[in-house]
Amino acid sequence: METPSLAGSAGSGYSSVSPVTEIRAAERGEPIPFSGTFDTGTSGSSEDWLGGVVVVNFWYAGCGPCRDEAPDLEALNIKYQPDGVQFVGVNVRDQAGTARSFADKFGITYPSFLDADGGEIQLAFAGEIAPDAVPTTLVVDRQGRVAARIVGRLDRSILNTLISDAVAEQ
Amino acid sequence: MMLRTGRVDEEAGETSGRPDDHFDRGATSTVVSSPLGVLGWARWSWRQLTSMRTALLLLLLLALAAVPGSLFPQRSSDPNGVIQYFKSNPSGAKTIDALQLFNVYTSVWFSAIYLLLFISLIGCVIPRTRHHWIALRQSPPRTPRNMARLPVYERRIFTLAENAVEPITAIRAAEGVLRAQRYRTRLYENDNPVDEVDTASVSAERGYLRETGNLVFHLALIGILLTVAIGGGFTYTGQRVVVEGQTFVNTRSAYDSFTPGRFFSDSQLEPYSLTLNAFSVTYVENNPSTLGFITDYTASVSTQEQNAPQAVRSRIQVNEPLTIDSTEVYLLGNGYAPEIVVKNPAGDVVFTDTVPFLPQDANLTSLGVIKVPDGLAEQVGMIGFFYPTKAASTNGAFASIYPDLQNPVLTLNVYTGDLGLSTGNPKSVYALDTSMMTQIAGRGTANSAIEIRPGESAQLPDGLGSVEFLDTKRFASFDISHDPTKGFMLFFAITVIAGLGAAFFVPRRRIWVRASKNPQCLTVEYGGLSRGDDPALEAAIGSFTIQHENSLHQQSRSLQKKGTAAS
Repeated sequence: METPSLAGSAGSGYSSVSPVTEIRAAERGEPIPFSGTFDTGTSGSSEDWLGGVVVVNFWYAGCGPCRDEAPDLEALNIKYQPDGVQFVGVNVRDQAGTARSFADKFGITYPSFLDADGGEIQLAFAGEIAPDAVPTTLVVDRQGRVAARIVGRLDRSILNTLISDAVAEQ
Repeated sequence: MMLRTGRVDEEAGETSGRPDDHFDRGATSTVVSSPLGVLGWARWSWRQLTSMRTALLLLLLLALAAVPGSLFPQRSSDPNGVIQYFKSNPSGAKTIDALQLFNVYTSVWFSAIYLLLFISLIGCVIPRTRHHWIALRQSPPRTPRNMARLPVYERRIFTLAENAVEPITAIRAAEGVLRAQRYRTRLYENDNPVDEVDTASVSAERGYLRETGNLVFHLALIGILLTVAIGGGFTYTGQRVVVEGQTFVNTRSAYDSFTPGRFFSDSQLEPYSLTLNAFSVTYVENNPSTLGFITDYTASVSTQEQNAPQAVRSRIQVNEPLTIDSTEVYLLGNGYAPEIVVKNPAGDVVFTDTVPFLPQDANLTSLGVIKVPDGLAEQVGMIGFFYPTKAASTNGAFASIYPDLQNPVLTLNVYTGDLGLSTGNPKSVYALDTSMMTQIAGRGTANSAIEIRPGESAQLPDGLGSVEFLDTKRFASFDISHDPTKGFMLFFAITVIAGLGAAFFVPRRRIWVRASKNPQCLTVEYGGLSRGDDPALEAAIGSFTIQHENSLHQQSRSLQKKGTAAS
């Protein structure tokens, strides 16, 4: 994949990675704890959602595919609220003002961490099943381990299946 | 070629009266009389390909073939240059592209030279190694019967009164001297049965290291080719712009541009983060003639590995990269990043960012793009020029006259419409696509361009809201590269030189010494033969002869002493 230097879009790596990775329960890695500050100024941590399924979406406002998939994420967020599924965004490029405007415009009701300055959450998830492009969506199981990954613009029905599988696990 | 010279020589041969078995005549007759079969041609081609001359020619060709790689922009290293080339010279670029000159190092012709060189080297090395292996285990050849024919020959004749040692004793002494000089030796007794004299000889050879060095050189060259071909596939290099206070995490998504090797996989990226704490530039300020010249750039960074307990602070400077995990982080470029806030008419913040502006000249007149996708009545895009030290020229155009922040000014051309983000396609964060936008401020519109200084704010046209320029930060661009071939390359480069050194400077020579005794005298003959170029052979034989002569005299004296003591 050849992207012009400096003129390259952030998240230039769609083509070389398989878009969906599902990991069987026995083969999952260690639980990944993460915490940070939301774009609203309050802070949050993976410990707050322990025992439930968490969907982590890496994004930024100027990213076309992220804008495109935002309504799908919010729809699934509403759908799985009764099951205790927590959606959380990780903004990798923007500051608070930009991120909040995005949430307002798309009616996003779940919180988003600001990670451009600190990079802690990206670092926590870096490695084998890393967010290799923006957007990337991870489904984290009840034990805090990555159960599935979608790299690039997500497909609502695929994410729906991945979440319901994770919810069904005990 | 061969045929023609043959014929010419044949004609010449008739007049000059060369013998019938002269090699030129032979060559002509074989070419004419027995045409080569398929197998013959194959064998001939293989021999040509694996000859030393061809290997050298291919090596030269490889160097020549790499030249266009520096004349034309390469897709692998300078994709922007290629795009530019296509824009400025579309027809020429097509031809050049068809010749694969934009991808020199992966082109068909470059690969062909490369592979042929590879085959040539292997085809050359294997038989030579076998040959050398056998030679190493063989003892030096028999002493020639007529040593006077050798290129270097010396003879000493001693009367028996003068020297009465036995030939075998004389030869043993010679062998001792030769062995001390690291010759491999073999003794022969009575090896000259022409007449009834008592003879002995020693055959000695040294300089096997020359061929060993030669082979090592070839093998190391193959090693270099393999390292480049295979090892190069595991390398990666990427660039990322980081603003002061922000963090880069080593994942594929974080790179602005990324060039992976053929065998690269995303899981190869080692998890670490790099935060740019501060970026400082040192200018020449006390010398008027070089005022504003930059003496140094320093990026103060904190790096954090995924499982490390805490971050490590370090500095990156030009030509002083930072090594972290198996990557090296180089400081590539830098520039200014104005901190911008955009508010809606109600005064709510809808956009905050520190936007990297890319430098356009030596005084850092910089160009940047601000995209406000959400929160205003329409999507807003701004193309901005930042002048660290603004000055207006006579025609009213702005320019920066000094690279440091003496009189910083930001001007903004404002566009509204569609930023093109809703298509779902990735867009460059450093370019504004104005094809679906209307300009509402700047040259050619009713509103002049917005001009603000740090701490100031200005209203956007049409009551869209306001824009504020808070402060100016610095950004640095880093080049992060991983090259596992470096160690191998160093090893093979050293071996190539060592092998070449041995092949050049270790002389390979044979020395024979024969002693024969008849009732009147003791004759000692010395002969030398070089294998390859050996200007020092004559001197070596000369000094050896003197050394041996002296040892013979010594032996003879002690023999006489013993003789007198016994009688």
